[in-house]
Amino acid sequence: MSLLLASVGFGLITSAVLAVAAVGFTLQFAVTDVLNLAFAAVMTAGAFTAYLVNEQGYSVWVALVAAMAASSLLSVALNYFVYSPFQRRGAAPITLVIVSLGMALIIEFGIAAFAGGVGVSYQMSQGRTITLGGLVLTTVQLTIIGISVVVMAGVHALLRYTRLGKAMRATAANRMLARSSGIRAGRVIATTWAVTGALCGLAGTVFAIDIGTFDSSSTDIFLILILAAVFLGGPGNAYAAMLGALVIGLITEVSAVYIQADYKYAVAFVVLLAMLAVRPSGLLGVKT
Amino acid sequence: MSAEAQADVQAALQADGITAGYGGDPVIRDVSVRAEPGTVVSVVGPNGSGKSTLLKALTGVLSVSAGRVQVQGRDVTRLAPEEMARAGVGYVPQVDDVFAPLTVRENLEIGGYLLHRRELAPRIEHVLAVFPRLGTMLSRPAGKLSGGERKMLAMGRVLMLQPAVFLLDEPTANLAPAIAATLLNDHVRQLAARGAAVLIVEQRARAVLAISDLTYVMGGGELRMEGTPAELSASPDFVASFLGGHRSAG
Amino acid sequence: MYYLIILLVYAAVDVIACLGLSQQFGVAGVTNFGFIIFQAAGAYVAAVLALPPDTANGGFQTYIGGWHLPFPLPWIGAAAAGGLLALPFTFLVGRRLRGDFAAVGLLVTAVLLNLLVMNYRPLFNGDAGVAVVPAPLTGGMFVGTSSSYQWVFAAGGLIVAGAVFWFVRRITESPYGRTLRAMRDNDKIADSVGKNLLVLRTGALVTGGAIAGLSGAILVSFIGVWSPGEWSYAETIVLFTAVIIGGAGNHVGAVLGAVLVPVGFEEITRFISNNNPNLPPNLLPSLQWVAIGVLIAVFLWLRPQGILPERRRVIALPDIGPARPAGAEMTHARSDAARRRSSGTQILQATDVSKQFGGVHAVAGVSLSVDRGTLTGLIGPNGAGKSTLLSLLAGTERVSGGQIRYQGADVTALPAYRRARAGLVRTFQLASEFKRLTVLENLLSAAPGNRGDSFAGAVAGKRYWRGDEARAIARAQALIEDFGLTRHANDYAGELSGGQRRLVEIMRALMTEPDMLLLDEPMAGVHPELARRIGHALRRLCEGGMTILMVEHELAIMDEFCDPVIVMAEGSILAQGTMGELRNRSDVVEAYLVG
Repeated sequence: MSLLLASVGFGLITSAVLAVAAVGFTLQFAVTDVLNLAFAAVMTAGAFTAYLVNEQGYSVWVALVAAMAASSLLSVALNYFVYSPFQRRGAAPITLVIVSLGMALIIEFGIAAFAGGVGVSYQMSQGRTITLGGLVLTTVQLTIIGISVVVMAGVHALLRYTRLGKAMRATAANRMLARSSGIRAGRVIATTWAVTGALCGLAGTVFAIDIGTFDSSSTDIFLILILAAVFLGGPGNAYAAMLGALVIGLITEVSAVYIQADYKYAVAFVVLLAMLAVRPSGLLGVKT
Repeated sequence: MSAEAQADVQAALQADGITAGYGGDPVIRDVSVRAEPGTVVSVVGPNGSGKSTLLKALTGVLSVSAGRVQVQGRDVTRLAPEEMARAGVGYVPQVDDVFAPLTVRENLEIGGYLLHRRELAPRIEHVLAVFPRLGTMLSRPAGKLSGGERKMLAMGRVLMLQPAVFLLDEPTANLAPAIAATLLNDHVRQLAARGAAVLIVEQRARAVLAISDLTYVMGGGELRMEGTPAELSASPDFVASFLGGHRSAG
Repeated sequence: MYYLIILLVYAAVDVIACLGLSQQFGVAGVTNFGFIIFQAAGAYVAAVLALPPDTANGGFQTYIGGWHLPFPLPWIGAAAAGGLLALPFTFLVGRRLRGDFAAVGLLVTAVLLNLLVMNYRPLFNGDAGVAVVPAPLTGGMFVGTSSSYQWVFAAGGLIVAGAVFWFVRRITESPYGRTLRAMRDNDKIADSVGKNLLVLRTGALVTGGAIAGLSGAILVSFIGVWSPGEWSYAETIVLFTAVIIGGAGNHVGAVLGAVLVPVGFEEITRFISNNNPNLPPNLLPSLQWVAIGVLIAVFLWLRPQGILPERRRVIALPDIGPARPAGAEMTHARSDAARRRSSGTQILQATDVSKQFGGVHAVAGVSLSVDRGTLTGLIGPNGAGKSTLLSLLAGTERVSGGQIRYQGADVTALPAYRRARAGLVRTFQLASEFKRLTVLENLLSAAPGNRGDSFAGAVAGKRYWRGDEARAIARAQALIEDFGLTRHANDYAGELSGGQRRLVEIMRALMTEPDMLLLDEPMAGVHPELARRIGHALRRLCEGGMTILMVEHELAIMDEFCDPVIVMAEGSILAQGTMGELRNRSDVVEAYLVG
């Protein structure tokens, strides 16, 4: 029983990190119609930025903010200098996916060139452990879950209650109509990349905190988890991504109890393939 | 000031010599229309006559290769769609006319994107007064509305900014005749009654003629006829331009 | 010296892999981001077929197989494995799945399989991989063989590469290859001229997979080991980069790409590291990947067609004799089988056909019948349901209710490409030519009964399909003459004007030897004079026995050429008669004015 409970605990943490990442990824897709496969690499960039700041003696939570800023900038640049120009030219979606893979390589291995292949970790304390009815978690882990919940609430508030959030949803639903309503779609899109870029940096840093030691290739498999979470609920829908993250995170960790731990990610991959084969619009319906 | 110049200043919308297309040969050539405040002006014609193209050229969705568009005296010819909205032009496209995943209320809020926060609520009340049906479905996603309700929402969204000029692209397409009649006779006329200039492109020539103050007839990318509904209904050429009865030789 | 052998063997392997990918991606348009797993499958299978049972050598590895088969069986098995592995993946490329989604699915599959093989030791010895794989015709590994053997091996590898080049060339430069390129350019239209997309894409996957498997066999025989580390998903990206840079769809380009990217990169890296021994160990490999990423972006932006773009296929046309009466060609062209099918005066019958989208009835209870040899017009205001009705008759859309009979048989459930093969062919309203095929190729792609238009036929070679091809060319040439486009016969269809592209579409439809043509606004955007020329050509066809149903807005055309004319309004048929009769009917006039 406690093994199951422990895996649920791990699952919640994975879900927490995954939720932040999946929401960022899916919003980028919603507003720009690009599957940004460089997302995991930008997460890594964020994690390493935090590492550099952390090395200077700052607390990892301060470094987190630096990571968000760096990833935000990188993401805006990615859209402005690479994806947008290709789209303006009328490039097919498959071309953009190949380009995004190229960007992923540049970013991930650019980092590897500087950082070397050695794994690094943050200077931080893991805090005390807390027992919650069978679940044993550290304060750091609880903080990660807490951050994720706050971010989810923030994204919800942004999308539903702010002018910007509504403009984002309108632009994602029907760009030309949004423009006819006076929305400067170009600015909204750039802002979306800035916000989701920050989420990406946040996800990368908490991911790194969670796994302890990380290097430039740590997020590779995580990208697949993000894709699984996004496609489970339905690409382009932020709430679907949150739900998908919860399910995938839990399935992945809980399955490790029943099948060999090495295969736990396989379950997520199979889910993704099944969704693509049967219902690419996701469980929660269509992105317009 | 000459009578012509006076007339120019009075028109809410004035388009002169518009030539436009989708790259390659122009689809419409040298088309001029005007709409004065408080009037309904219709553009009719058979399919392929260029009516929709004209509207897209006026809204900035399509760029014109020649000609000039003025709204309330201001030259808006090369403005992008988001600037046209700021210039007082409200455009209701034929399809994809609402934000399907957003609720009715949110659609209206987007319509009021350019408004001050404080103005939003009273403006929504105003629109709901014009389209009471919408008030009963504020939380419903726009994609789940029936055809007629969607069109009302599309027009309501545009009404949020109280534009000087409404551009409606075949609003009754895909609507049942009874609903189309209500839309035209009640709602479209109301928009004009409140002082806006309404330019409406339509297939249903008879129905829209009944509510128009002025009608243009297009054919083959050009302006063929113009006149009041009374003048046109009496003219045999009017019917011919739809059914191609007597085409000039060649 | 040994270094040169390594270079040659890797060149052979990469060339073979790139040719396979170029065939799949460049020619057939199938974007397989999991390509590397097919090479991996081939390598593993070749290894476990050549290896003795896993208890040998002290039993330090576990794997399936181990039958110690002699050369060339392991290599043949490898190619077979690569081909067979492709079959389950047709579910991702056969469906109408967005191209980028399908590609991601294949990428994920590659990662998944790598993970499974890495962790499930009994299969292929897990993470450590298989080792001590014997080289062909010897007992031990390659590294231990004599110098002359190594040269023979390297030469053999290059010969295999040459054979693969010859093979993919043979496939691509055949009518079958042309069909693949058509599918790549516009799969919807390929479907409408009778091509079975699922079978074609499966074929492309299997062919590419088998070629990739073969390359894996050569590679594993050479290096003697094979583990999951050798085939991460990133290796697929290297091959894609090679093909994109070299020129997708051009086989010489694939060779060039293979030499420049996988081989060239390795050598440059080796050169730099040899001359700079003090660099940190992972700097160069990392920079390699950065360079690949940069190359992808730069090439796709500046020169997406690659260094050696796909060649335009120019077909020399013989001088045909004095101009024949136009339309005569059409009558001769139709096969005896088609004439035998003529029975009864009604060729097409729709009974109470309806179609709804959501709750809306686009077509409601339409019944009509079309007589053989007539040129029928279908008119009506916007939203009347004309295009939808046409789609239902053609099979592009499935009916919500009602029945459609063609040539006396019930075709209601038959999909579009089957109806096309039965002689009921449609054209489309919007641009629908194969852009990167020439006008001639556009026409030839639709010619039925060409023996070269199948995988087996392509492999059989030019001598097998030469006759059919020549006949098709002759027919196409006559059609092009008829419609006045001889000057543009060898131009890319995508470069013609709108009106000319319309003509290509109509001619292409005619090439399928249809008994009945469904034309969707063939005159849209066409100069009035050209429209009348088309009208005359269509009428001549009907006089020759063809039946045509045409949706149009140009009522002058209806006047001059169509009898009868059917009027639709609001989803159902309003009236039928000649244009003159209809103009006098007030309900028709009202329908047009009321809309």
